[in-house]
Amino acid sequence: MTKRIRSKIARGSGELAILALLAEQPLYGFEIAKQIGERTGGTLQFTLASLYPLLYGMEKRGWVEGHWQANRAGRDRRYYRLTAGGRRRLAPLRQEWRAFFQALDSLAGVSHA
Amino acid sequence: MPDWKELVRERLGARGLLGSAEEEVVAELAAHLEEAYGDARLRGMSEPLAVQLALQEVEDWRVLAADICRAKTEEDFMNHRTKSLWLPALTTLLAASVSLMVTQNLGTQPRVVWVGKMGMTFYWAWLATLPLFGAFGANLSRRAQGPTRVRLAAGLSPALVMLIVMCLILPWGLAIDGCDFLRLVGFGLGLVNWVVIPGIALLAGALPFLRGAQAREGISAD
Repeated sequence: MTKRIRSKIARGSGELAILALLAEQPLYGFEIAKQIGERTGGTLQFTLASLYPLLYGMEKRGWVEGHWQANRAGRDRRYYRLTAGGRRRLAPLRQEWRAFFQALDSLAGVSHA
Repeated sequence: MPDWKELVRERLGARGLLGSAEEEVVAELAAHLEEAYGDARLRGMSEPLAVQLALQEVEDWRVLAADICRAKTEEDFMNHRTKSLWLPALTTLLAASVSLMVTQNLGTQPRVVWVGKMGMTFYWAWLATLPLFGAFGANLSRRAQGPTRVRLAAGLSPALVMLIVMCLILPWGLAIDGCDFLRLVGFGLGLVNWVVIPGIALLAGALPFLRGAQAREGISAD
């Protein structure tokens, strides 16, 4: 597998994970990374370096929207929420990944491995 | 505990590249590192270990700065391509076409050069104007900070379009009229007449604009 394909898969799965998470509630960057790690049992892990370029790209495309908000301790955090465009993107993205895994399963029996 | 904002600002080293968004990016990344540090401390780590763990979030700050730049300017990249290639190329093509039309309408007689039984038609008056259009296209692309190959393509666009058109016509012509040696020679002469010679004239004009004024930083990095 070429580096470009690997990077596209990583980017695509990252976008799906973030959109799906933000569809539930607005979150700030560190919490997004933490929840993805916890809820996938550590299979998907985001560091600062992998998370923010993805988030900024998604923001640029209008899928998510960030706004600063202070928590109870007075610490400023930039919360991201899903936009209408992001919601529209999420459904076909889910479909694409479902089709991708079905295709991989029929080829390599991934779900039975 | 380090001053996370100062640390991010220093390591990111992206002064000016992110424009007005820079302070916000620095603040957000610093907040993330502070959260990572706080989280590690809550789990009972010593301060130096917690700092070390937080810093492991970024393997290469230069790569991160480039990735953020790319993400932030993704949309601009499309505009940049339009401004540096498509607009100059189409304008040059249009200008060269109008010039040929005007030359023909003014009644300027073309010079016919015979190669055996085949004639090549040269509109010298039109060819003489092409360096101007080559210069115009390449300069327009340079002003939009296009890299050298894009400026070249913009300057040579009329010849490139003719090349594409001829390459599309050839198989069709051969299929309809059959393939023979004379037809292929005719095609070769057509190439020289409408692609090579106009291309050289356009290149002569474009050459001075192929150097200098580098492409935008962070855009051509990929």
